[in-house]
Amino acid sequence: MAEVLGAFEQAVLLAIVRLGPDAYGRAILKEAEDRLEREIAAGAVHATLERLQRKGLIASRLGAGTALRGGRARRFYRLQPAGVTALNDARAAIEDLWRGLTWPLKGTL
Amino acid sequence: MSATPPAWAEALLRSIVARGDRDAVSGDLLEAYRDSIVPTRGQPRADRWYVGQVLGFVWRRTWLAGLLFGGAFVARSVLDWRVPTQDFLLRSQVSTLTGASILLIVALLAAWRSGSLAAGPVAGVATAALGAIVSMLGAAIVLTFWHDPGTLTAADMSGGLGEEFTLPIAMLLPGLVLGTIGGVIGAGCRRVFDTRTA
Repeated sequence: MAEVLGAFEQAVLLAIVRLGPDAYGRAILKEAEDRLEREIAAGAVHATLERLQRKGLIASRLGAGTALRGGRARRFYRLQPAGVTALNDARAAIEDLWRGLTWPLKGTL
Repeated sequence: MSATPPAWAEALLRSIVARGDRDAVSGDLLEAYRDSIVPTRGQPRADRWYVGQVLGFVWRRTWLAGLLFGGAFVARSVLDWRVPTQDFLLRSQVSTLTGASILLIVALLAAWRSGSLAAGPVAGVATAALGAIVSMLGAAIVLTFWHDPGTLTAADMSGGLGEEFTLPIAMLLPGLVLGTIGGVIGAGCRRVFDTRTA
């Protein structure tokens, strides 16, 4: 059965796609904040990354830290084939919902 | 930039995050703190931001258990007030067992997930604190709707209204004790599991 993604899960997955090899926790958080135009709790992103990894949609590896983060390792994420499929399915589902309608909708219908 | 967030908050964060993610998660938060929060908000507000972020992590691990714990208190009160009894022993046993089980399970799961014994008492106390808020709010809401003389008499017979707003706070201690027990069990089981699967 195809994975049904929530809006926030899509935002996180798309941030990983956009960031490519630089997709680690804080960069993903900033990218998602920029796209969604709101402040997001670090815990929300971390919980979502954990869940997506458990579902097999993303994989991760530890990388080197920087002085700014006290030398602590960064965890880099990348999309797995199941994640690509899930994103494509999510996009197709939205397009199906909008098919036949003109966007943006007018104020009075 | 070498600003440092409150050490206790960082220790709290590291205690509840999975062992393999401790550096990555605390590093992400430290990077944001130093790189953008301190420069734009100043250290005192940045410290509050950091504590808020850490509490967000704790909230995500305990909100459901806290709601259940507080809900159990409210359910017991409603039962005592609306269906009074002379024998509270059975009800006490059931509600005590329910509350203790919730605290023990949430602590055990938190410790298992993080591999840290400290996650147990943190989860236990956080659950009890959240449960206390839910319970007191719940009791106040119930009293708003049911405050007829019969209900108030039944409330007096079952310990009095004062107990509704003090007992939940007293549950912080059982939260700490049962959380520690759950933490020992959860972290111990995790250690055995990791050793066997290594």
